[in-house]
Amino acid sequence: MDSHFRAFSFVDRITRLGPGDSIRGQYTIPPTLDAFPASLVAEAVGQLAAWAAMATVRCSHRPVAGIAGTIELLSAVHPGQVLDLAAELESVDTETVGYGGSAHADGIPVIRLLDCVGPMLPVEDFDDPQSVRDRLPFLRTVGAAPGGFDGLPALALDPCGGERDRVARARLHVPAAAPFFADHFPRRPVFPGTLLMHASLQAAALLATPATSANGGAWMPRTVSDVKLRTFISPGETLSLEARRIGHSDSSLAIAVESRIKQRLVGSAEILFCPALNL
Amino acid sequence: MKDSNITQDEIAAVFPKVAETMADAISCEIEKVKLDSSLIDDLGAESIDFVDIVFRLQRLFKVKIPRGKIVEEARGVLSEAEFEKAGVVSDAGVAQLRAFLNEVPAERFKSPLHVADIPRLFTVETFCKLVIRQQRAAAPAGGPPSA
Repeated sequence: MDSHFRAFSFVDRITRLGPGDSIRGQYTIPPTLDAFPASLVAEAVGQLAAWAAMATVRCSHRPVAGIAGTIELLSAVHPGQVLDLAAELESVDTETVGYGGSAHADGIPVIRLLDCVGPMLPVEDFDDPQSVRDRLPFLRTVGAAPGGFDGLPALALDPCGGERDRVARARLHVPAAAPFFADHFPRRPVFPGTLLMHASLQAAALLATPATSANGGAWMPRTVSDVKLRTFISPGETLSLEARRIGHSDSSLAIAVESRIKQRLVGSAEILFCPALNL
Repeated sequence: MKDSNITQDEIAAVFPKVAETMADAISCEIEKVKLDSSLIDDLGAESIDFVDIVFRLQRLFKVKIPRGKIVEEARGVLSEAEFEKAGVVSDAGVAQLRAFLNEVPAERFKSPLHVADIPRLFTVETFCKLVIRQQRAAAPAGGPPSA
C-alpha cells in the first residue's frame, strides 16, 4: 500500500480552517499500536499547523523542521484514543511560519506547543505539489481513514558512556530505509525532527533515574524547550547524542541534549523532569 | 529612515535584551555578545538562528519584523536590478549597504560582495537598530516606543 499520507501522517480530518489563522483537526491513534509517544502527538499538532500554513500560501511552500520554544507534556495517550488537535498561526508567509497549538484526548489536555517557528520551503522540493493541493480539501471533507500509521521502526539508542548522573552519551542509527521516509517526504526523505525529540527524551532519561530523585521515585518529562533542528538528517546517518545535567533539585531535573553528526551540531533541546505522581 | 537618527542611547537601551535574545537563540555565553559582534563570524549563528532571533525579538519587543527587512531597507531607493546582478551586489549597492550598515567595519565588506553573504555583515548592533526602527514604525506619532 502507498505510504504517502499514511506512514507518517497524523491528521485524519480538518474540522475547521479559519477564520483568521486557526485550525482544528482530529487524529485517531490506531488501536493496533502498542504505544503512541508524546513526540508523535507533537508531530500531529505540527502537521495540523502545517496544513493551515500551506493553505495560506496556496500550497506553494510548506514548513519543514524548525524550532519549538516550549512543548508541555501534559498527559499520556493510548492507542484507540481520538486526538482533538488545535493550532493558531502567529504569522505565515513563504519564508516562515510561527505557531502554537495543543492536543486533547477525551477532553484532557495532552500536549501544548508554544512559540514554534518553521522555515517554509518549496513544496515541490519535498512532495508532489498537486497531491498536496488535493489532500487539503480531502481532509476538510471526506477525511482519511484511520489506521494508516503502522508504528515506528526500532529507534533504540546505543549508550556509549558519560559521567555518572551528569552526562550520558548515546548513538542513534537513523535507519537507511523505513516506511515513514516515503511520507516524510516522498521527494526528499528527511528524519523527522519530532523523532529526534523522541531520541533526545530517551537520552535524557538515561540520567533521569530513580537514583537521582529525592525519594527514589521515578522522574517524568514535563517540558521540552528550546528545541532546534539545525539541518536535515538523511536516512542512514549516525547521530551522537549527549545529555548533560544542567539543573537538579528535589523537585526538578533539567537536562540539555545536543545531537551531532560527526562534529556538527544538528539538534538541541532542554528537558525538564519532575517527580512522577504516585497515584 | 536614516540610521543617523538612531542615537547611541537608544541602542544602549535595547542592547541588553537583544544580547540576551542572541545568547539564548545561538546558545552562546552572553559575555560573548558584544555590540560589534558579527552574528555569523563571531557568534557562530546559522540560518535557523536568524529565524529564531527574529521571532524572539518580535515577541519580546512586540514589533513586526518582515522577512528580509534589513536588506530591503538597506537597498533604499535602488531597484533590485540596480542593487545586484546575478547574485553580486553592484558598486552602488555596496555604497548603499556601507551607508546603511554603518556599524559594520569597512574591512568586512568583501569585494565582490555576494547577496548571500550580506547576513555575514550583520552585527548585534544591526539588530538593535532594526528593533528601534520597527518600534518607531509601530509607535503612535509622538509616542515613545515600548520596551
